Amino acid sequence: MSNGNRNEEGVSRRDFLGLAAFGAAILASLGALAGSLRFVKSNVYSEESKKFKIGKIENFPIGTTRSIDGKSVFIFSDDNGLFAISAVCTHLGCIVYPTEAGFQCPCHGSKYNQDGKVIGGPAPRPLEWFEISQEVDGTLFVDAGKAVPNGTKYIFA
Amino acid sequence: MQSRFYLSLLLISSLVLLTFVAIATYSALTPEWKQYQTEYKDFLIKNAKDEATRERAEKIDIGIQQIYLTSMKKADRCTSCHRGVENPLMANAEQPHRQHSGNYLENHPVAKFGCTICHRGQGQAMNLREAHGEEHTHWDFPIMPIKYIQSSCALCHDFEMLKHEGGGHVAKGEEFFRGKGCRGCHKLNGVGGDLGKALDGIGSRARAYFPMKHVVGDRTIYNWVKQHFDDPRQIVPESEMRAFLTGEESDLLTTYVLTFTSEQMPRNYMLIKNIVMPRTDGESLYKMYCIACHSDGKASIYDEILKRTIPAIMNPSFLKAIDDNYLKKILKEGRQGTQMTAWKVDAAGLTEQEIDRIIEYIAKDRPAAKTEPFDVAKFKADVKRGEELFNIRCALCHGKKGEGDLGLNLKNPVVQAADPAFLAVTVRDGRAGTPMPPFGKDGVGLIEQDIADIVSYVKTLSQKKL
Repeated sequence: MSNGNRNEEGVSRRDFLGLAAFGAAILASLGALAGSLRFVKSNVYSEESKKFKIGKIENFPIGTTRSIDGKSVFIFSDDNGLFAISAVCTHLGCIVYPTEAGFQCPCHGSKYNQDGKVIGGPAPRPLEWFEISQEVDGTLFVDAGKAVPNGTKYIFA
Repeated sequence: MQSRFYLSLLLISSLVLLTFVAIATYSALTPEWKQYQTEYKDFLIKNAKDEATRERAEKIDIGIQQIYLTSMKKADRCTSCHRGVENPLMANAEQPHRQHSGNYLENHPVAKFGCTICHRGQGQAMNLREAHGEEHTHWDFPIMPIKYIQSSCALCHDFEMLKHEGGGHVAKGEEFFRGKGCRGCHKLNGVGGDLGKALDGIGSRARAYFPMKHVVGDRTIYNWVKQHFDDPRQIVPESEMRAFLTGEESDLLTTYVLTFTSEQMPRNYMLIKNIVMPRTDGESLYKMYCIACHSDGKASIYDEILKRTIPAIMNPSFLKAIDDNYLKKILKEGRQGTQMTAWKVDAAGLTEQEIDRIIEYIAKDRPAAKTEPFDVAKFKADVKRGEELFNIRCALCHGKKGEGDLGLNLKNPVVQAADPAFLAVTVRDGRAGTPMPPFGKDGVGLIEQDIADIVSYVKTLSQKKL
């Protein structure tokens, strides 16, 4: 390509062949590379989904406090909507219990207010809030793998 | 010129690679499940009965769905195509979108159980053919036909519960299995005869274990088991299995036999409501171990499959001539040279007690009157005369050389090893309920000397060549 074999008709036949060949080679390699990069991130992982069903909205009238068996999550329902707060203490992972003022950890005495904010003890961070979503048929799901900003409340029909 | 050759080569190979990249991209972007999920979403949007439902339907993310069961390390991606499985709005939709039938998912939420525990199939596969694992996918456990599906219930539940709570088929199959004498020939948990193969783990054996050559339709273990029950010799030509079942019975038994799996479910999945002790009364044991060959034990019949006459062991005149000790010896040691298994504890695995109960059951109709003894030793037997009498009186049924025809084969070791007195009594009194008439003074009218001669001749038959 560098020998500049040009004439009036523009690109010579050999130049065209060279250009096409290298062009196709580069394109093909890039395509193959891009294709294989897709495999860097897995579509699904070999782990249990943290999303779980909590039932219909009718089961959560305003004023409800419910802890879900085996899932370490509290579900609350107030005037501003439905919300899910983790029951796992941010200090060393014990399971907190609800009190008048909010939550209390049985292990090292961490205290949280009703929004999960730390008001005492060694806990470094507030309790996590989780996403609540609704399936097409109206069933509610909490995804304990998806934290949302504290104070996120959901209104469902 | 050379560079031109290499450039052309580069061009062509690059174009080939590009084509492959294009094909791969296309197939990666249009997988089967994506089409199904789009259909699912469109269906819900179209059929939404209110605005809120429609909005939620529009928000459905399309992507691979997976249920991962940590305790079993199972990943089921079936819901990638069957997304509507828990959605009541899909109750009447077409497959793969339809909601699961019945109320099974109420107690077996998909998130805890997945799909393949009950339905089998290849949970990780992402297209129909491989997921259902039917013919030519080399998957040992393809999707379970619905008519046998209850076999999966028994992985976690007891039959007493299943009988009343939605597992009627498999519970009935289990009852059949106990009543048809299957374990007369097949070992299960170490107890049973050895004419057939042991049944442990048969429901989770690899396809290659089964001779599939004669199976009609898909070569799955389900079809093998079912068709083998329907007609054993159609599937295994040399089989001696005695199975005479209606189509419905063989479906039930297939369902039950598929519960014999070698895997154990994790404890948090098991729900055993009733501990049912196995029945150990004589009648149940007889049905479990003996009935396949001896049926009701009342008549002796020539069996085309086993190629011998099966003795009528509950026939009163047989019982009259044989005492419990002799019966017990036969049960424990079996009958060499016949299909009768040795049932003692270190062979077929019945305990002494169980054998006693079976004998008690068999002998329940023994007539009170004792047989008049026959003292063979009293007579000086003449074998030559015995032969003459035999040819006149016995050969018609038992064959010229005693090889058996309508009557028993007298050359068989059972007869040859029998006590001469026992044989003499049988000849004298006959065997009521069989074609064997009494030859003594109450019947044909032979005198005791004649009978002793015949018996002595019969005892020499084993040395005769056919």
